[in-house]
Amino acid sequence: MKNTMEKIKDFFRNATAPVKLSMLLMGAGHFRYGCFGKGLIYLGIEIAMILYLIRRGFNDILGFFTLGTVHADAWAGVEGDNSVVMLIMGIFAWIVVASFLYLYVQNIKGAYYMQYCSEHGIPKKTIKQELADLLDRKFYVLVLSLPVIGVCIFNVLPIIFMILIAFTNYGGSVVPPELVDWVGFDNFKKLMVLSKFGPTFVKILGWNLLWAVLSTTLNYFAGLGLALLLNKECVRGKAFWRAFPILAYAIPGFITLLAFKFMFSYGGPINQMIVGNGGVAIGFLDLDAKWSARLIGLLVNCWISVPSIMLLATGHLSNRDMSLYEAAKIDGAGPMAQFWKLTMPFMLFATMPVLLGQFIGNFNNFGIFYFLRGGLYMDGYFLASDTDLLINWLYNLSIDNNYYCIGAAISLIIFLITSVISLIVYVKSPSYREEDTFQ
Amino acid sequence: MMKSKKFTKHLDTGMTYVILLLVAFVFFFPCLWLILASLSKSGSIYSFDGFFPKSFSMDTFKKLFTDTTMYNYPRWFRNTLFVATGSCLLGTFLTILTAYTMSRFEFRMRKPMMKATMVLGMFPSFMGMTAVYLLMTQFGLINQLWGLVLIYAAGAPMGYLTQKGFFDTIPKAIDEAAKIDGATNFQIFTKINLPLAKPMIVYTALTSFTWPWSDFILPKLLLKEKDLYTVAVGLMSLDETEFARFAAGSVFIALPIVILYFCLVKNMVNGIAAGAVKG
Amino acid sequence: MRKKLVAMMLLACTVFTATACGNASDSASASESHSSTTGSALFTGELEKNVTIQVLENDTAISEGYFQELIDAFNEAYKDQGIQAVDANMDQYLDLANDGPYGYGPDVLYQANDVIMQYAEGKHILPLPAEDLDCYDQIPESAWEAYQTEVDGTTYTCGVPVNVQAPMLYYRKDLLPEDWETTWDEDSNGVPDMVESWSKMYEYSALRHTEDSSKYGYMKSLNDMYFSSGFLFSYGAYIFGENNTDPSDIGFAAGEAEKGAQVLSQLASVMNEDCIDDTITTNAYSKLGDGTYFATISTPDVYTTFLEELEKSYEEQGMTEDEAETLAEENLVMTSLPALPASGDLTDGTTETVDSMSMGGVNGYAISSYTEAPNACLEFVKFATSYDMIKTRAEMLGIAPAREDVAEEVGGTSKQIYENLDKGNIILMPSITEVSQIWTPGQTFFIDLAKDAYRPEAEKKYTDLASLKEGLTDMSNQIHEAITTLQ
Repeated sequence: MKNTMEKIKDFFRNATAPVKLSMLLMGAGHFRYGCFGKGLIYLGIEIAMILYLIRRGFNDILGFFTLGTVHADAWAGVEGDNSVVMLIMGIFAWIVVASFLYLYVQNIKGAYYMQYCSEHGIPKKTIKQELADLLDRKFYVLVLSLPVIGVCIFNVLPIIFMILIAFTNYGGSVVPPELVDWVGFDNFKKLMVLSKFGPTFVKILGWNLLWAVLSTTLNYFAGLGLALLLNKECVRGKAFWRAFPILAYAIPGFITLLAFKFMFSYGGPINQMIVGNGGVAIGFLDLDAKWSARLIGLLVNCWISVPSIMLLATGHLSNRDMSLYEAAKIDGAGPMAQFWKLTMPFMLFATMPVLLGQFIGNFNNFGIFYFLRGGLYMDGYFLASDTDLLINWLYNLSIDNNYYCIGAAISLIIFLITSVISLIVYVKSPSYREEDTFQ
Repeated sequence: MMKSKKFTKHLDTGMTYVILLLVAFVFFFPCLWLILASLSKSGSIYSFDGFFPKSFSMDTFKKLFTDTTMYNYPRWFRNTLFVATGSCLLGTFLTILTAYTMSRFEFRMRKPMMKATMVLGMFPSFMGMTAVYLLMTQFGLINQLWGLVLIYAAGAPMGYLTQKGFFDTIPKAIDEAAKIDGATNFQIFTKINLPLAKPMIVYTALTSFTWPWSDFILPKLLLKEKDLYTVAVGLMSLDETEFARFAAGSVFIALPIVILYFCLVKNMVNGIAAGAVKG
Repeated sequence: MRKKLVAMMLLACTVFTATACGNASDSASASESHSSTTGSALFTGELEKNVTIQVLENDTAISEGYFQELIDAFNEAYKDQGIQAVDANMDQYLDLANDGPYGYGPDVLYQANDVIMQYAEGKHILPLPAEDLDCYDQIPESAWEAYQTEVDGTTYTCGVPVNVQAPMLYYRKDLLPEDWETTWDEDSNGVPDMVESWSKMYEYSALRHTEDSSKYGYMKSLNDMYFSSGFLFSYGAYIFGENNTDPSDIGFAAGEAEKGAQVLSQLASVMNEDCIDDTITTNAYSKLGDGTYFATISTPDVYTTFLEELEKSYEEQGMTEDEAETLAEENLVMTSLPALPASGDLTDGTTETVDSMSMGGVNGYAISSYTEAPNACLEFVKFATSYDMIKTRAEMLGIAPAREDVAEEVGGTSKQIYENLDKGNIILMPSITEVSQIWTPGQTFFIDLAKDAYRPEAEKKYTDLASLKEGLTDMSNQIHEAITTLQ
């Protein structure tokens, strides 16, 4: 902090007028020191920003705070404000402002640096050199800018939106055209005092964690095992054998889930065969079937996920350093030893991110139980059933029962818990800490 | 001694094939069921004897492509192809670049960015759907197929971790050597790393093709006109009595992916000749 | 430094919020004094020229070809005015509240009254000058009421009823016992007893299954709240208090509702496990067709589907297409629900009965508030609800028209439904948003009830009326909690 203050003081003491003018008119410093291309770009940015602010940015930011003042009434022909649109465009405006501020600071820094260069006789870079730099030293800036912008707009912005919704009264009867208001921590307070909420949350969270761990382990080892099996020298026609899991992979998940639901239903073929052989129909997925439904969920999820893990593992296996295996063979290591000492460490390292991704995906696996066993509220659960994962519960709350704001508040809580857990695991994982292990 | 070794080898091979057969059965059976159901003559799933229909005909497939007044399958198929191909190209490009950069470059924001993407992935995605919908209405991208492409492609780099893991296993020594020879980072990427990453690119392409191909939440949200539906949304909108058509549609939707797989399988598995690079 | 900034922003937040509140209430009171006439002021009667209106119809109307006929006729009649109606080509269950405000909804939509009236709450659809419509006098008051809402003391009508949806009994005449006229017609009125009384239906179902274990009598998935709740209503239950407007009063356990639950559980015992999940809902078409089931209940709009399945099965038996068609039409009967025993016990042999009540709905047209051409839309609605079009609709789709003149003319089921609506035996679905929260708890209870019939004796939960009452009370409480806890 102090350092920054010093620097700012230094800046005001030493900067020439054109550089100081950059604070008002972006790019002025660049023009002064002969860098017209960049100067023009900065000037253009400032003009665009001002135009944006006049045309809608300013109103958007205002709207972010008010969330609308005119109640829409289509019958009376009053167009009115749409609170949620105002909220999202408000967030968008903040993002624009933030990026502008970043560029603004860059502009001043750049101008100041150019002054420094010219005063100390350091040759300035031509625009051509700067562009070439983008392909070399600053390659990452060029490459990452597009994904970062995309992720910001389509991933970060919606998340910010939902987080902010947790602090409003959006939902229930308060949906457009009704005006939404900021309510501070009211939703969280509501959750705190609610005796129903706690037990359900704990129960579902417990099952959710168990599910995520079990299904991740199961999928991962089944996928890896399958890849290794297919990689064996004795297997002829690898492409042929590999095609079966691919077939499963090619069918969209929701179709698979509907098909499995039907197979295990009372009128499905499995029960038909049981009854046909004189047995009694089994409710694999019905009301009383807590554990059998969970087990079926696990297996079906395995069926869906294993092919992609197998594909991935196959790709990684081909990237192994085979000379190590030759050496191991000469040293007399058996296949088991080779697996545990060479293959496993390598695969674990290479696929740790996948494992984590799988874990997250399974933790938030909405489809499985929504399709297999949706539409039940159990005793002892608040608006949920005993196979529901947290994400299903969220769906019940926010979509089926219209509690968007409460849903958002709960998802924020869940989000905090899960992200802390996964972050710790991730930061401790070798593929994060020792990225060079297999170099 | 030799004999027992040979015996174990045979046993091993035998066991391998038994397991393979089992795996093949487990994966193939539901698919076979779906295929045969689509060929059922009666069209109703409940007239089956156990798992399979009693009589077969190709009528459903004919109907699928010719009877388009209510359910325009060919149209849906074209839409899906467009969206999936678009997002595949754009998404793969962005993902590979992101993964490569995150693996090879050291910069200030790197670790924070890695952590941030990790955390962002934990957020229950459907909670953000409202926001995505609202954004798209503001950008005027509802009922636009390429609006979907944009979202899929923009979200793709979030899953860069898998690809980064792959790049991490390619030795940096090669890069260093090239750098000494005067290559720029851009050249190192295109000339050296990209060819090496072929299996990974194929994998990425396949996944970023399949995802839009089978997703129905997002297209359902953004496409309001029936003529713009993707196959997944269209199939979900089928009437409950149209089971055979549903099955036929599902079988046909799997076809491109299977074909794609067979075209790409060589690249994926044998992308790196064993040992040649490492030595 | 930074902290100060945050504090200032927070302050700004609160100030702005406060003003927002003030303004909001201001504008609310402003609009109060505004509307006083029925029908939106937008309906000037002056037709917009050269407009295309997008009409959202239901899938059956489209697939059976009725909709094409309707818009063709309309476009022909209004060619001179330059008004053209087209298929909106959207999902029949689309959400106008979500799409309309952004300009992606249809102009005219056909939907059930509960859906339409939820739109009315957010003013997403326009109030219509109902009294000016030709069909006004022909449609019963109760059907109009389903589309009425009160805003600031004025009653608005937001939709025009087209047809009435209520559960009907479907059965096959050719599956009756051959000598039914002597053995199954005690009152000798020429109508088989089992389609007149649930007790007899129960008896016949049990008999049919004992004779041939692969065959069943009456079959219906119990998990379907829409159909199952009617049994509760018949014994005094209701959905919401105050004529379905007060969500704080949930009435599924009211009156002697447990008797209805008992009837359901007895019926479940003569079906098979398929009644626990929605197997029967989806397989009834083909199983009634192939003769596995004798009867089921469903809404009138799926009549054609049942008919087609029956025809298919006849054709498989070797009949020609024409023969199959005539025979199917003769043998597939759709009629109103049988009467229930007043005692709530299908097996005790008492004869005193109560009328079966059922949950029902009125489907109709509404006009989106976001349309550019309200008058042209109104003209379309007028045209579509005219005598001729409704008659064609009833003939082509087998629906039960809400217009009395057409119902009389078509006769049969339509008349029965019309009378039931008039008598108050059809409980219309509530038009408030809270109704969306009754389904899952209700479904869970009915699944539990159906499952109970197949639990081993020792594990049964619902053994007497008291335990059923308790179960119903639990379900009502669950709905109550779903509605109020997080409010």
